[in-house]
Amino acid sequence: MNQEGTSQTAEPQSARPHGVSQWALAWRRLKKNKTAIAGLAIVGAFVVMAAFDRLVALYPPRCIVGLSPSCPSPDFVSNGPPTLTHPFGTNIDGYDVYSEIIYGTRAAFLIGLGATGLAILIAVIIGLAAGYFGGWMENLLMRVTEVFLVIPFFLLLLVFLQVALKFSQFSTGGIWIVVLVIGAFSWPGAARIIRGETLKVREFEFIAASRQIGASSWRILFRHLFPNVLHIVIVLLTLQIAASILTEAAVSFLGFGAPGSNTWGQQMYTSANFIADAWWATLFPALFVTVMVMGFNLLGNGLRDALDPRLRE
Amino acid sequence: MYLVPVFFGITLLVFTIERLAGDPVELYGALNPNITEQQRELLRKSLHLDQPIQVQYLSWLSDLLHLNLGSSFSGGSVATLIAQRIWATLELQLLGLTLSLIIAIPIGITSARKRYSALDVTITSTSLIGTSIPIFFLGVAAILIFGYHLHWFPSGGFQSTLPSQYPYGSLLLDQLWHLFLPATIYTFAILAPVVLLVRSSMLEVLRQDYILAAKASGLKDRTVIYKHGLRNALIPIVTYVGLYFGGLLAGAPVTETVFNWPGVGRMFVDYTTQLDFPVIQAIVVIITLMTLIANLITDVTYAYIDPRIRLE
Repeated sequence: MNQEGTSQTAEPQSARPHGVSQWALAWRRLKKNKTAIAGLAIVGAFVVMAAFDRLVALYPPRCIVGLSPSCPSPDFVSNGPPTLTHPFGTNIDGYDVYSEIIYGTRAAFLIGLGATGLAILIAVIIGLAAGYFGGWMENLLMRVTEVFLVIPFFLLLLVFLQVALKFSQFSTGGIWIVVLVIGAFSWPGAARIIRGETLKVREFEFIAASRQIGASSWRILFRHLFPNVLHIVIVLLTLQIAASILTEAAVSFLGFGAPGSNTWGQQMYTSANFIADAWWATLFPALFVTVMVMGFNLLGNGLRDALDPRLRE
Repeated sequence: MYLVPVFFGITLLVFTIERLAGDPVELYGALNPNITEQQRELLRKSLHLDQPIQVQYLSWLSDLLHLNLGSSFSGGSVATLIAQRIWATLELQLLGLTLSLIIAIPIGITSARKRYSALDVTITSTSLIGTSIPIFFLGVAAILIFGYHLHWFPSGGFQSTLPSQYPYGSLLLDQLWHLFLPATIYTFAILAPVVLLVRSSMLEVLRQDYILAAKASGLKDRTVIYKHGLRNALIPIVTYVGLYFGGLLAGAPVTETVFNWPGVGRMFVDYTTQLDFPVIQAIVVIITLMTLIANLITDVTYAYIDPRIRLE
């Protein structure tokens, strides 16, 4: 109790100037957090890499250096060690590892944003509905969520992908299948957190007031409840992007990724068999997965501190 | 006892997912074109595929409850196949989890006690970075350095293939030698989130009045921290570890592939590549069951740690 009292009296001192929004305040807090800014910088660097991949890379995509007409020099080397012309070496096919990693950045964003978008959409719908309506609806939705929480999702993911990608009928979907399946399984943790927050917001007087003046459930849900849980959604979104990228890399590393897609996980899978001779072809893609995941995790943690007023000290 | 409905929910989900995927025998046949029509018929019969779908589910469930896991498409009893590998999995997982707790708890406590000191900032930021390092980066790098380059440890596997390769002719020493690198790396790979959790839950406890009271009554710092503080901080830690264990088990395919470890995880990868559904179903159910058991142990541990919590 004591701490809460002091933190609340300390708050007005930071002189909330007239007309400054909560978001601006959160941004100020975020700016002070060095690790969060480091995360933001990492994510920013990857955005630049993805947007200008042709400029950042040394060779065109999927180019067998020394043999393809689009990249005739330098000479062809398979599993060549890092040199000036190939900063991260070449892989078994003679691709430049550095350039392929750069081209993999877009795929990483596609997976991260796509799978997360789907997962968080499901989580928001289920979390808001369960938290707001309560009763049998909450009971049913939360039992389903519990089942999904306990289930070894990574194992089912592998089964799903093996069926979806290796069985003719769907095998054209490629990376989108991976995005869809990761998204469809990643929502339960977030749904529980959003429901918890909805339960709190639901008790506020402005919700009761809104209901009094005849607002529909739909309006209360999306005009009042959703904006008030948005800060949590943003944090969950950022952390889920990291988790999705990591999951795709793990899945592809095991050989269950979309064949033909150029993700960092696929690059690791192609090279893992030759790791004793050419560690660079496996380890550099793994390093980029790590750094990107780290960027989103640091940013997500920083956002949590900046956006969640109760965690503030 | 929410475990029972959740368990049935999961078997139903697993079953539905697999039947949605299509006729399991057709799928298996598509990947293994050399099995004959006769063999297909036999496989269909063994899975009760000639009967209505609810009968298929119920007979699978009743087999499961009778501890009959059936036989794999490629031959061999599923129960035997799993029994041969489950200990390798549990050995690595439990050892890693235990070691990481033993290391993480003192680090987390130190960090919480010296809050905002240079040490605390170092520990916290290292852990934040550590949570993002996947096992396929850390493990692969460690095997490259200590296995392939320095030759200090074997680069993978559970034991040497030939008895003549055992150090001092002892199988136990050989297995320990193989275990060392995977166990160490795995411990470090799963350490970071536990450190952060111990730190935050210890911070929460240290600001409570009873800690102040204990200090005021002249108890030694050690006693206050470990007896009064840690015991109360353990509750969120135990909750997390219960849930974490399930996640670690589900991650076994990656861990065991990295270390070339002959456990259930790698077995799952192999049989999923073949779409051998009896084995897939059995492993998913067993891992789910172990997760549920871990949750149950968690609940029992609560009551032990915190006498205020009573089991019904």
